[in-house]
Amino acid sequence: MKKIDRTVMQETVFVFAFILIFSVLMEAVYLIIDKWDFPILWGNLLGAFAAGGNFFLLGLTVQSALGKDEKEAKNRMKLSQMMRMLMLFVVALIGYLVPVIDIVAVVIPFVFPRIAVALRYFFIKKKEGQN
Amino acid sequence: MELALGIILGCCALGAGMAMIAGIGPGIGEGNAVASACEAIARQPESKGSVTTTMLMGCAIAETTGLYALVIAILLIFVAPNILVNILVNTMAAL
Repeated sequence: MKKIDRTVMQETVFVFAFILIFSVLMEAVYLIIDKWDFPILWGNLLGAFAAGGNFFLLGLTVQSALGKDEKEAKNRMKLSQMMRMLMLFVVALIGYLVPVIDIVAVVIPFVFPRIAVALRYFFIKKKEGQN
Repeated sequence: MELALGIILGCCALGAGMAMIAGIGPGIGEGNAVASACEAIARQPESKGSVTTTMLMGCAIAETTGLYALVIAILLIFVAPNILVNILVNTMAAL
């Protein structure tokens, strides 16, 4: 098995940390609006792991595609994107079929990595500004 | 009643399918971006680390459109029909 790139590992840890923070915030919002229940928690856990796993798999694909020639890299990315979408759909399906999981709580964490990436951009800007 | 139910379920399925059209774009975009990154690394192998980081972030951002579409489609398939059917049943009961 190929070794995981340090950059991929670092970014995945960063995204996972932010997903954790946002998940706690989401639970807090559910508590505040008085709609919290255990299905929300299980759904949040499932969705958060799927979102983080999706980002990690994206990193692995980028890492492996960068060593290939252009056409193969392109095809690899397309295939990976399709498979990851399918994986997320299956996760949502599990959330729908299993009664102890709330599907809305599964779906919301899917967008957390995007917010984490946007915030990372601001962090980098701030760091550059300090240096 | 059956006709209204059929229209609701059909429109939800149609909407979900149309939303997933947006899922095509990110795959093509990511593919093009990674192909260009491969070219950049081939030209300047020492820039691999920075290119990988930028690529990863760029791909994550590019993929968001597809994820939004997926989320909308999932909600339209699994969540919306129940809510809409409940509204319909309550309205019919009130009449």
